[in-house]
Amino acid sequence: MEKTHDDEDWKTCFAQLGPALLLFARRWTNCRADAEDIVQEAFVRFWRREHSISNRALLYAAVRSAALDRLRSEQRRHRREAAAAQDGAEQVEPQFTGLDGGQQMLAAAVERLPNEQREVVLLKIWNELTFAEIAAVLEISQNTAASRYRYALGALRRILQPHHE
Amino acid sequence: MNDFSEVEAELKGLRPAPVSPELWARIERGFALRDVATAGLLSPRRRRIAAWWTLGLSLAAACVAIMAGLAFFSPSPDSATSVAQNKATSSGATSGRGLQPSALTRVVYRRRDEGLVFSPNQSEQLLRRVRYETRETMQWRNPQTGASLRVSYPAEQVVLTPVSFQ
Repeated sequence: MEKTHDDEDWKTCFAQLGPALLLFARRWTNCRADAEDIVQEAFVRFWRREHSISNRALLYAAVRSAALDRLRSEQRRHRREAAAAQDGAEQVEPQFTGLDGGQQMLAAAVERLPNEQREVVLLKIWNELTFAEIAAVLEISQNTAASRYRYALGALRRILQPHHE
Repeated sequence: MNDFSEVEAELKGLRPAPVSPELWARIERGFALRDVATAGLLSPRRRRIAAWWTLGLSLAAACVAIMAGLAFFSPSPDSATSVAQNKATSSGATSGRGLQPSALTRVVYRRRDEGLVFSPNQSEQLLRRVRYETRETMQWRNPQTGASLRVSYPAEQVVLTPVSFQ
């Protein structure tokens, strides 16, 4: 019975964090299916090792690790290269839902951010991690995490300002 | 960060795409797989402790086996013969080191005709029952060392011979 409660806690945890984890995983892939693979692998692995649910930095680190493992996989790389060669251009699947005109532009701007800035924004805005947690996940210093965040928001604001004016 | 509060608010207005039902199903399947794999088993911490116990017991058992093996297969001819004798005596087999079967004798020292009896299976069939009391002696010899082992034991044999009247 206790085990059931534990599982329910984990399911609740996934219900809350799943979309943000998926968004974070999309930082390494534009393919939603690949991102789901990464999240599934990382989340189940994290759960199996009986880590604390509250240790979110470790959970995101698990997602990052799974994503990097996947990137390193020769098989996956060959498959991506073949798919890219076949399609001619990479098809980017939407990462956000229910967007109006202004939000679409903002979402596109987020996707155009440099990866190192975008991942900090993803972790800070939608995953609500502290800079200390972000630093732990990305294996960078807190100052670096904070400065990347500032650069990213500055860039986004510059993009948005003409739109708002 | 106050300078960016407006941008932050705008960003928080974006809702990440929800998790697909397929991913939910895969996550639940992952939970179920672990449940099946570890149902009634130990937690990782207990598994580690149990693994250490198992390792310790295995090492102890291996040590005992090695020591017993060294004692059993000592190169001393005397002890080898002794061991072979023990084994042969206990099992009646010829597994002693270097010993080979050399003789088997059976001496009948009593024969007793117990008359006609009916077959236990076929009541109409008559049988003659003859009881032999014997002594059997088995002998092994090591051709290299000349050591020999002889085992003698009493035995009893009952022979049933069908009888027909014409």
